[in-house]
Amino acid sequence: MANLKGKNSRIVAAVAVIALLVGGFVLRPGSGASEGGTITYLTHSEAWTHADPNRNYTGQHIAWFGSYMHRTLTAYARAEGSAGSAVVADLATDTGRASNENKTWEFTLRDGVTFEDGSAITCEDVKYGVSRTFATDVITDGPTYAISMLDIPSAEDGSSVYKGPYATTANDTAAYDKAVTCSEDNKTITFNLKRSVGDFNYTVTYLSFSPVPKAKDTGDQYDLSPVSTGPYKIESYKAKDQMVLVRNENWSAKSDPLRKAYPDKIVVRFGLAEEVRDQLILTDSDKNSMSLDGILPTNLPTVFDDNGDPQKDFAERALNVYDPYVRYSAFNVKKVPCLEIRRAVYFAKDAAGLLQLSGGAAFGGDPADGAIKPLMGLDYKKVTGLEDFKPAGNAAAAKALMAKAKTTCPAEYARATDAKRGLVFDTADSETNKKGAAIWIDSMMKNAGIVMKFNFIEPGAYYTVVLDATKQSDISAGGWAPDWANASTVIPELFTKEGGFPMSQNWDDAAYAPFKKKVEAALAESDRTKQGQMWAELNQYVVDQMWIVPGIFSKTQEMWGSGLGGVFFWEPQGAPSFGDIFIK
Amino acid sequence: MTANGALAAGELTSRSPRELAWRRFKKNKVGIAALCTSLFFVSAAVFAPVVAWLVNVNPNERDTAALTARGETIGRFGGMSWNHPLGVEPGIGYDILARLIYGARISFLVAAIATLASISIGLLIGLLSGYFRGRTDSVLGRFTDFLLAFPAFFMIIALSAPMIARIEKSGLARDNSARVLYLILVLALFGWPYFSRIMRSQVLSLRERDFVLASRALGASHARIIFKELLPNLWTPVIVYLSLALPGYLAAEAVYSYLGIGVQPPAATWGLLISDSIKYIISEPTYFVIPSLSLILVVLSFNLLGDAVRDALDPKSENT
Amino acid sequence: MLSYISRRLGVTLLILLGVSFTVYVIFAFLPFDPAALTCGKNCNDPGIIEANRHRLGYDLPFFTQYWNFIKGLFVGSSYGMGAALINCPAPSLGYSFREHACVSSIIGEALPVTLSLALGALVLWLVVGIGLGVLAARYKGKIVDSASTVFVLIGTSLPTFLTGLMLLVFVVIKWRWLPFPAGNYTPFLEDPYEWAQILFLPWVTLAFAYAALYTRFVRSAVIETSNEDYIRTARAKGLPEGTILGKHTLRSALAPIVTMAGLDFAGLLGGAILTESVFNLPGLGRLAIGSVIEYDLPIIVATTLLAAAIVVLMNLVVDIAYAFIDPRVRIA
Repeated sequence: MANLKGKNSRIVAAVAVIALLVGGFVLRPGSGASEGGTITYLTHSEAWTHADPNRNYTGQHIAWFGSYMHRTLTAYARAEGSAGSAVVADLATDTGRASNENKTWEFTLRDGVTFEDGSAITCEDVKYGVSRTFATDVITDGPTYAISMLDIPSAEDGSSVYKGPYATTANDTAAYDKAVTCSEDNKTITFNLKRSVGDFNYTVTYLSFSPVPKAKDTGDQYDLSPVSTGPYKIESYKAKDQMVLVRNENWSAKSDPLRKAYPDKIVVRFGLAEEVRDQLILTDSDKNSMSLDGILPTNLPTVFDDNGDPQKDFAERALNVYDPYVRYSAFNVKKVPCLEIRRAVYFAKDAAGLLQLSGGAAFGGDPADGAIKPLMGLDYKKVTGLEDFKPAGNAAAAKALMAKAKTTCPAEYARATDAKRGLVFDTADSETNKKGAAIWIDSMMKNAGIVMKFNFIEPGAYYTVVLDATKQSDISAGGWAPDWANASTVIPELFTKEGGFPMSQNWDDAAYAPFKKKVEAALAESDRTKQGQMWAELNQYVVDQMWIVPGIFSKTQEMWGSGLGGVFFWEPQGAPSFGDIFIK
Repeated sequence: MTANGALAAGELTSRSPRELAWRRFKKNKVGIAALCTSLFFVSAAVFAPVVAWLVNVNPNERDTAALTARGETIGRFGGMSWNHPLGVEPGIGYDILARLIYGARISFLVAAIATLASISIGLLIGLLSGYFRGRTDSVLGRFTDFLLAFPAFFMIIALSAPMIARIEKSGLARDNSARVLYLILVLALFGWPYFSRIMRSQVLSLRERDFVLASRALGASHARIIFKELLPNLWTPVIVYLSLALPGYLAAEAVYSYLGIGVQPPAATWGLLISDSIKYIISEPTYFVIPSLSLILVVLSFNLLGDAVRDALDPKSENT
Repeated sequence: MLSYISRRLGVTLLILLGVSFTVYVIFAFLPFDPAALTCGKNCNDPGIIEANRHRLGYDLPFFTQYWNFIKGLFVGSSYGMGAALINCPAPSLGYSFREHACVSSIIGEALPVTLSLALGALVLWLVVGIGLGVLAARYKGKIVDSASTVFVLIGTSLPTFLTGLMLLVFVVIKWRWLPFPAGNYTPFLEDPYEWAQILFLPWVTLAFAYAALYTRFVRSAVIETSNEDYIRTARAKGLPEGTILGKHTLRSALAPIVTMAGLDFAGLLGGAILTESVFNLPGLGRLAIGSVIEYDLPIIVATTLLAAAIVVLMNLVVDIAYAFIDPRVRIA
């Protein structure tokens, strides 16, 4: 987070304007972009996890619904590469005005923005949408930034005193009304935050800040028929069958410079067998269709060659790119305080074997060297100290470390090598993970003499277990993508006690105090370049302490029919920019 | 016969029913073939470590050299070679032959114990029901109906996770042993009602036969009648049912493994091999064909064996 | 007669109650915390799990939960409050938060699919099974008989999921003998041709195994009856073989066939789980499996009960039918 003061906020504004102009340039319909036709999306899933904007969290959902149906105060620019990470105004007139040391943020709604029934979007609607996040028992799964950032006190049990718009008892609605206020003309919304958030205008790109008309809210069932503010609206939506979107006549490009409305109709087909879904695209049986899921390993060779580049037949029809995720395994530092053992685990790991499971490095990704991915740009610097890393595991290095551990941490050494106890690894229960587990167990024993056991957790309950200090085992599998293009959404989130995803439980470690100080300094640093260097150093620090075992800088593959054009990978969301796809 | 029509010594020997049955069985060529095939598979499973040692394969060894960097098998037919007579698993490089025979062990174990358990319980309940009739029969009958009403297949799947967790908690068994135990228990639990019904009707008709009535008239105790008169005559349906239930349970184990509630990787069963092979079915069809074919062959040979045994023991039934 | 029916009805109701209670007991005492499965990624936030547990009624004592469930079957139930209030009309089997709908309507949508699947398969396997069985018995020892034996062997040895998988992968995907299904399911009234096209392979898959069983049964039943005295008399009288088969032999075999078919059909209605999974049909079986994977408790309980109820009711129907045919049964 950057603490922006006067001069710097003007620079940010200037950058935003330039981004807008550049964005506008890129967004002008390129050659071949034409309107009309029906685009079909194919997926194995039975339904959208959530169509309710306040419950949407995954990048793909945000990219899809954000392209077609749900607008937000601000949004990411629709451009390839790093230009896509710039924030531009969407429903608002600008990217927000901060004051009071970034604790107060103001956004003014544009003229002419309406819901699909033609009624105007007002500040009250945005306020209502945000309030739904607080009804955590109904509106589940969405990001809870509103709860953690808005200036509303907490109750004794840690939950907010405001319980959302549905609860009629024990609900401090006045506290919410104070934190989020609307101007008299109902067009300007003001957020009062409990702490300084320099990039709140990034936070509101999340659909969880989308407006929702109170009269049409149906609680849990809003997931089936949300009201649209975008170029398309739902004509029909049946789980396990299909969803059909048609044009929203009450949307106008005049009030929405970000979105295109190329196709006349959009269809999503659910519940397809994975092989059928792949074959429909491979055989190009419907030219205007695109798969929303990854590609089955059995079909990867048909689409890509050994280097991971698309084969001739798929030249304009497939993508193989880095997604925003870093996969890693987090040590429960409280349970594994011995540094030598942690480092031994890293060097003993058979990274190549694990990658082979997902089709090799060309598709699975590259072995990671930390928690920050190279495409973060400013925040990334190659991590040193890992020169002994070998893709199939380095037995010599690992064994040397274990020999050292025998003298420096004898008790833990005894446990890690004890056939009855060993180190326990948490991971979600799936067939692929079970295979991966065999590779882990094998390589740990062969290369370091460490006994590894696995604790397979039911996918739905995974986070409940590993984020609970009493339930987490010695190591847990994890993956994290930055919420926006700043490692401030990586390092503090993963490695500080106050973070949203601190699987490492590292705050009792001796090395934590100086680390925390450096993190706070980085959060307060306003010079972005300098801040980037600080994040890179902190990344090095994390790896030096081996609080996580860096896993993979993962990749993702997409493919689509030959009739579609305009597909590009939208980095901030880790998915294609669906709204820019047209029928050639 | 000798020249004057008298029987030579040793010619007219009475043969026991068992000998007669065995002679009939020997004449049935299909039955013999089925017996050999079944024995072949069973011994391959029982002597899996020996076979593995002979052919020099290991079910838990990953041969990464047999795979490309992308995890595909090298060579035709899924990487079949002298090192790997049936090829290797794509993605991870396990030898398929080894996993096939070691997997057979688990499948046969589950099927055999489940069969024996459901037959024993079914026999007991059916006997008691049919012999004592009256109140005993009603109560046991209601209980049987109650169990039969449960959608067994679905319950087994739905209950697998919590029940296995319970077994592990109680310390009886862990991981795969717990899952094997769970499968055996539920298969037996939902399997015995069918058999007990068959037994019951058999006992109902047997108990009215002359030799039983005679025994009762002579004042024999219930236990004596059950053990000495009824049980020996129940062998036939027991053996027939045994030979038909076994392939049924084998296929069931494969189905549950396929659905993911049987034994878990890195252990292997045929169901797991089949379910894993689906992912690679277009590019590596051999990986799918081998366990599927094996499963079909085993079930087929046991079915044929069962038919042949039934024909041998009770020639009046069915395929005359 | 009436007393027999009412007695059986009473027993049936008792069994249903017993099954529902057992199911509830089993799922109530689990090592999993059902509330923890309702909050997705936010389960590390304080208070959310407790709030969910309270609102979904998982913190109520067990008997209260069971009683609410039974009550809901007759008067309906409601969940949540304010704008988030949801009403499920009677018979209410609960509300699924994963599917955002009342369980009874979810089941109502899945039932026609399974019904179509089961009915079509039933017709197919009866036609093939009876037809082939009769032919095999009529021309015993000839080629038709051997062919039917092979058919029976293969059919009884191929597990259904393998049949389905092989048909889907080889016939549709690899060899393209049949086109890809146009959708997951089209109701008959909407487009009968598409309905049949989508269900064709699933029908064949299911019918294959049953047809084999029925062929074997019909063949042996016909052969056995053929040796009966009254058939020999009919033959001696000079009646043509076809009439003998049609009027006499088959009729005696029909009763047990109808019983078997009824019970098999009822079993299928409980969810042809494997076939529906392989072909992605949105029927009761798919619903059941999905609910287990996602641990959607209300649907798990509802589908189990429904399957059990169908089997029990079918048993009742069959028993009553038999009581009409055979008066001795009423005394038993």
